Amino acid sequence: MTTQFRMRQAWAIARIEMRRAFFSRRALWVYLLALFPAVIFIGHGIAMTYRHNRWAGQGMTTAAALDSINPRDTAEEVLKKAGKPISDRDWRRRKLMNEEETEKGGRIRRYEMVEGRMMMYYDGRRRVNLFFENGVLTEKNIRDEMNFDQDRQAYAGVFQYFYLRLAIFFGCLGIFMNLFRGEMLDKTLHYWFLAPARRDVLLAGKYLAGLTASTVIFTGGAALSFAGMLWPHESTAVAAYWSGPGMGHLFWYLASAALACVGYGSVFLAAGLLLRNPIIPAAILLLWEGINGFLPDLLQKLSVLYYVQSLCPVPAPTDPSMPPLLLTLLSPASPAAKEWAVLGVLAVTLLVLWAAAGAVRRIEINYSTE
Amino acid sequence: MSAPQTNGNRGAANRPLVICEEVSKFYGEVLGVNRVTLAIPPGITSLVGPNGSGKTTLMNLLTGLIHPDRGSIRVRDISPREPERMMRLTGYATQFDAAPRWATGFQFVATSLELFGLPRAEAESKAWKALERVSLTDAAHRKVAGYSKGMRQRVRLAQAIAHEPDVLVLDEPLNGLDPLVRAETIAMFREWGAQGRHVILSSHVLQEVDVISDQVILIANGMIVAEGEIRGVRDEISEHPSQYIIRCRDASRIASLLFNEDHITEIKLNDDRLGMLVMTRSREDFSRALGRIALDGHVIDGVIPADENVDALYEYLIGGGR
Ligand SMILES: Nc1ncnc2c1ncn2[C@@H]1O[C@H](COP(=O)(O)OP(=O)(O)OP(=O)(O)O)[C@@H](O)[C@H]1O
Ligand SMILES: [Mg+2]
Repeated sequence: MTTQFRMRQAWAIARIEMRRAFFSRRALWVYLLALFPAVIFIGHGIAMTYRHNRWAGQGMTTAAALDSINPRDTAEEVLKKAGKPISDRDWRRRKLMNEEETEKGGRIRRYEMVEGRMMMYYDGRRRVNLFFENGVLTEKNIRDEMNFDQDRQAYAGVFQYFYLRLAIFFGCLGIFMNLFRGEMLDKTLHYWFLAPARRDVLLAGKYLAGLTASTVIFTGGAALSFAGMLWPHESTAVAAYWSGPGMGHLFWYLASAALACVGYGSVFLAAGLLLRNPIIPAAILLLWEGINGFLPDLLQKLSVLYYVQSLCPVPAPTDPSMPPLLLTLLSPASPAAKEWAVLGVLAVTLLVLWAAAGAVRRIEINYSTE
Repeated sequence: MSAPQTNGNRGAANRPLVICEEVSKFYGEVLGVNRVTLAIPPGITSLVGPNGSGKTTLMNLLTGLIHPDRGSIRVRDISPREPERMMRLTGYATQFDAAPRWATGFQFVATSLELFGLPRAEAESKAWKALERVSLTDAAHRKVAGYSKGMRQRVRLAQAIAHEPDVLVLDEPLNGLDPLVRAETIAMFREWGAQGRHVILSSHVLQEVDVISDQVILIANGMIVAEGEIRGVRDEISEHPSQYIIRCRDASRIASLLFNEDHITEIKLNDDRLGMLVMTRSREDFSRALGRIALDGHVIDGVIPADENVDALYEYLIGGGR
């Protein structure tokens, strides 16, 4: 039997197994994980565009005019500087001025009537709410509506904290553990063992099927949410980003998603051969990846997350107010260079697949104890 | 049907064999099969034994679905640990009653043929031929999941024979088949056996297979009880000595009476003189003799079969599995 024959055979197995990998009823929730960020970004985009269109239709103010509004400006001054607001509401309410205790233990509260007013302006990017008391500006509340930088930061955060750590992790668990374990549960694994194929060829075919499915699903999900993040923004800003770092960013996001599938896929394929219960390997691996930052250098290199995180083009935003322990957990200690990271994932994968090939040769058909 | 490939010489001494040497398999504490040694020549070989005797275990061992804890197996000189070579010349219809959810009968058989490296058209024509052989063409394009038990049995048979293997292993292949299909299936086994292929099948009813088999292997409790051509095995069963423990007052007297019977091969008196162990070649003659002795006024307190397993097997097989 030639190597070429074995490769064709592995590919034939992969083609047959694709159905299980893509459409297994046990793993349909994988799609939810993959599409979740896209839904969030697209939803965010739709809401943003909807508000933009509504507010812009009611008259936009220039950014300069809004910036020129100062605290303690009167309502008239503001109207003169910024023109007619999008919305303008006023109200009267009682405001508690002070509270005193009487000798008998009772309380006396003094109130004053206040004329409240709120004006809302929009300059195409920022929504500014101005609050007045008795005709004087007391609070200026600014919210960024269309902030490209902020959205890209948000994407980086979602990608690293949710997508790499949870979505792809559990998605690969669903897809790859199902390849062998699912067939043990269905009692159909023996048909593969009765085919004239080496067990490691079978393993390769199944891995290929899972890899194709998970890569398509998760790079697809990542690309879709990237597009969802971009589209509401001004086309000039997006075009500038594209001709600048944008293309590279997208490439490395997709590459790290794909490599995460390569790495986690091999781990869960092996786990599906060795263990019946998917919770155990998931918990162990999640813990392992979690404490990775604390491990000695050499052990750090035995982690999928460590490498794929090093490939992410934009460092994920960390809030410095987070507890330091959490900070260490979330950020990779010292990212590896990109080429080393790619090689690192591949090396970890080969190591795991090599162990899995040993396991699949020893595995026996034993459905009764499932 | 193309002529089967054989390994080298077809001379009697050099016939390709399926060989087990001292094969043992345990499921944890539970015995699957124990120290099985066999050399199965081509032709139809039936593996007969009651439920749980180890038939499936032995067949799974032969086909590499499980691995022996001890001993070695060669199927026409290939180890079951080399499925790439061995499964080219081996087909196995298992007792596992499951098929992929997505597959129609035709897809199920054709898909498994694709793994032989056959071009699709050839795989499909072979699959169709196999389905014809098991008379399943009408239902070929329905989902296997919706088949009746007998149809699933047949589609598994079709899958096992589709690549025209030299060694065909079939776990209870006649179970659940209607008389017509059963006759056709048996005719096919005969044809394949006559072509010099191995057809190894299992059954728990000796009568079901003894007329069609060239060899019979009787298995009980994971051990081979008898093995050989059907006539030899019949004699062996009926001559298989049975052991009984007799409890009685006057053991020496009864022992001397029994010694006159020529079906008795051995008697061991207990030290307490209140019982003995008797070996007989014929259960019927033995019970008749006991009846005569009791009629003569000798008190027999009890008769207990000593080797219940073999005895039960004897009863079971000769009684036709009822
Ligand atoms: N997967 C398993 N785990 C534990 N014990 C098993 C397993 N498979 C078989 N056994 C035990 O091994 C012995 C032989 O079982 P086997 O299935 O080989 O019998 P069989 O002759 O095929 O029976 P049947 O006629 O019911 O098919 C039985 O005692 C059975 O309980
Ligand atoms: Mg059985």
